[in-house]
Amino acid sequence: MDADTKSLKMDFLSSSALNSQTSMEKVSMIVDRVKNGDLVVIEGGLSPEEEAELIETTMREIDVENFMGIDIYTLEKDKTSFFGLSRKKTVGITIIGPANVMKEVKKKSNFLSMIANLGDSDAPMH
Amino acid sequence: MIRVVSMPRFFRRSFFKDIFNKLLGKNKILKIGFYGHPNSGKTTLANRMTNDWIGKPIGLVSQIPHETRRVYRQEHVTLKHDGIELNFDIIDTPGIATKIDYTNFLEFGLSETEAKDRAKEATKGIIEAIKWLDDVTGVLLVIDSTEDPLTQANITIMGNLEARKIPFIIVANKIDLPDAEPDKIFSVFPQHKVISISALEGDNMGELYQNMVERFR
Repeated sequence: MDADTKSLKMDFLSSSALNSQTSMEKVSMIVDRVKNGDLVVIEGGLSPEEEAELIETTMREIDVENFMGIDIYTLEKDKTSFFGLSRKKTVGITIIGPANVMKEVKKKSNFLSMIANLGDSDAPMH
Repeated sequence: MIRVVSMPRFFRRSFFKDIFNKLLGKNKILKIGFYGHPNSGKTTLANRMTNDWIGKPIGLVSQIPHETRRVYRQEHVTLKHDGIELNFDIIDTPGIATKIDYTNFLEFGLSETEAKDRAKEATKGIIEAIKWLDDVTGVLLVIDSTEDPLTQANITIMGNLEARKIPFIIVANKIDLPDAEPDKIFSVFPQHKVISISALEGDNMGELYQNMVERFR
């Protein structure tokens, strides 16, 4: 986020761009961007191990004055098996952003709405 | 003359039993981790359990989030239910969250310095809790029935338990509160075992103990 212009940068990353990275590279890339105030939108999701690593890395990076952590939201989609016999949920997109920016998020099964907080002087970004 | 020769020690029944148990992994110490969000009632539940089975509490409880900021371990808890014993260690972990805002602690009367210190300690506690996922053999995932259960922390914990094939029970806690909605937890996690309890009041602990014996033995 640009503190002067109060604009929000959003990075959209395709699953193929992420698949070429190791788990550590993915997590570092996400945390670096989010710590910088940006919002990261990923096609698909992270593995459970990567999610745990993301939380762990975020905790190491938290600076109580300036970076309070992250918020993660996922939007799921139904995935039908080859023969159409079973249906299960898979993650369609994942949105990760700074906790002090993602203030209001409304989530339903197939809908996600977010209001970004850009002008809160009590919530420093960097 | 009949000479009675005692069986060498290594041929005794207990020897074979030990080998058999080792093959089955039965000699492994059961370590039951208490996981969940801050303030979901993990330590209240751990205290309820240790009070029930060894007559003493394990940790401090307070209304301020992140009261437990390091892992507490209570060894050698023996739970008895329907004639079956379950011996295990309780691993009470700090609540897992993706963010920590020290200003939240100010509302509870902490000074700014105390609140910031608490936030810093909480980040370390969360890292420690995540690391313990590699060591626990079973988990009670404690969810506050008055809160939205579909949070990233809960999803991450469950995903990691499934990936590691660690058996777990979802504990829908705080059913004594008027705005508790344990049914919501049952409906969003239909594929998992959910037991609704009040750790504070001790409601429905028998069902939880029974399921622990069945799942973690």
